[in-house]
This record gives sequence, C-alpha cells and structure tokens, in this order.
Amino acid sequence: MSLPRSNYDPRRVCLNPFPNVNLGKHRRTVGIYLAGALFALANWTFLDAAILSAHAHPPYDEPQIPPPVHVTFVDWIPGICSLLGMLVVNMIDKDRIRGDEGFGDSRAVWRARLFLFIGFALMAGGLAGSVTVLVLKYILGGYTEQYTYYGYANVSQNVAMMLSAVFLWIAQSASSEYDYNLTL
Amino acid sequence: MAAGLKTVILLSFVLAVGFLLIILSCALWANWLPLLVALTFVLAPLPNAIFSQCGGDEFSASYEGSGPEDLGRFITAIIVVTGFAFPLVLTHSEVITSGACAMSIVGGGLVYGTISAYTAAFKQNTDDYDS
Repeated sequence: MSLPRSNYDPRRVCLNPFPNVNLGKHRRTVGIYLAGALFALANWTFLDAAILSAHAHPPYDEPQIPPPVHVTFVDWIPGICSLLGMLVVNMIDKDRIRGDEGFGDSRAVWRARLFLFIGFALMAGGLAGSVTVLVLKYILGGYTEQYTYYGYANVSQNVAMMLSAVFLWIAQSASSEYDYNLTL
Repeated sequence: MAAGLKTVILLSFVLAVGFLLIILSCALWANWLPLLVALTFVLAPLPNAIFSQCGGDEFSASYEGSGPEDLGRFITAIIVVTGFAFPLVLTHSEVITSGACAMSIVGGGLVYGTISAYTAAFKQNTDDYDS
C-alpha cells in the first residue's frame, strides 16, 4: 500500500512538506555518534568554564581586585551526578525493561524499571543541582557576565548529558535492519 | 571500487598538508600545545577499529549491531569532538592564539579525514561478499 500523492492528500496541513530524511539502516550508527558528540560537548563546555576560572586574573588596570568567584568542587557535583545517572541508565538490559512474556520473570522486570528510574532520577537531580548552583552561587551574587558564564556552562553540561543519554537510548532501541516504529 | 594509485597519492598529500598545518600552528607562535590536537585526531579512529573486531563475528544474518561496537563508536565520537573542542577551550583561556587554534583544527580535521578515507577505501575490497 503506497501513500497518497501529496497534492491531494487530505491529511496534509502545510503547503511545503517536511523534507523526507530517511536514514534507514544507518539510524543506529548516526544516533550513537551523535550521543558521543553531545557527551563530549557537555564535558568540554564545563571544562572550558573551569579552565577559564583557573586562568582568571585581575583586570590589567586594577591589579588589586581579584576575581570574585571561581569554579570550586561544588560546581563539579551536578556533573558527576549526571555522569553516574548516565552510567546507570546505559547498563540496563533493554529487553528486560520491555518485559516480554516468558523472557524474564516479573521481579527482574520490576528491578530493571527501578534501575531506569534511579538512573533518570540521578540525571534529573544533576540538572536540578546545576540550576541551583547557577541561581544561588552566580545569579544571586550579582556578578558580571564573565562570571555567570560558569553557571550557565554547568547547566549546559547537564542538559547536554541528559540529551546524550536520551539519544543513546533511542539509537540503541532502533533496530538497524528493519524500519519499524521507534519505541522508547 | 578499488582504491587507485591516484587516490592513494592524493590522500598522502592531504595527510602531509594536515601535519604541516599542525606543525606550523605550533611553530609560528612557539607554543607546542597544539601537537596534542594532532595526537587526539590520530588516536580517534582507534576505538572504532578495535571494537569493530569484537562483536561482529557472532552475528551472521541478523546484523543488529553489538554492545562493544556501539561503545567503540561512542568513544570515537568523544575523541573526535575532543580534538575540536580542546583548541577552542585553550583559545578561550588565551593559552594559545586563535590563529593557532584555527590551523590546528583544520590540520587535525584533514588528518582524521584522511585516515577515515583510507579505512573506507580499503574496507570495500573485503566486504564485497557480505552485503
């Protein structure tokens, strides 16, 4: 059965159709590369803020005023939390979660879902923690944009790590041979 | 399509140009940190190559892709992005200049592209019977 032609398809709303990007059997590979790139981007954003903070010097015309705030261990904690969450999520056997009948006993399915919950809770905790650090340490301190960048980099790190975990999950659930529907 | 002699020569030339750019980016500003970028881009195809030998032999008909192969691709993507991000981070902190950053990124990209092209060109000769 083929799709009806676009110029008299009654389900179409817009005039210009969305371009048909068909990755096909490369969907899994592209997803995994993208997840790896996002993960590295996340960590390098935060490392950029940390290196900037380590190299921060007083302004050249006022050498007495030191930089008011630096990246400390508190800033590293949300990132570490997200990393732990990502490790937990990726160690789960995906077949166990779906709970197909006869495949695994129900307690294992329940435990697998509990682990998934814990993993995503760790990642959400990391994200919430980074927003907390941004607000409490940087925005309430009233620093200039040069220093609030450290807080925004921290939030970006956690958002990107969460996206990376989601992409990795979706990519690994997509079978590389058949183009059936994608289930999360 | 077998990799002809001209392809090999062209790829070698591009590789040499890439290394030249990286060495120039270090020498012109007397800061040898961008050499680490070259090292990163040379190491980048390694996880892919190692892990692709791990799980591929067990699956004959259903080519679902295996865990170790995915891990290899993940690590390769991490190293490639590190190769691009490391000079940018150093430039942001003014450890190297932006000219050195741009040259080392372009040179590193050329090196990685050449290595990938070599692997792709020579892999096609052996995979003719599988797909």
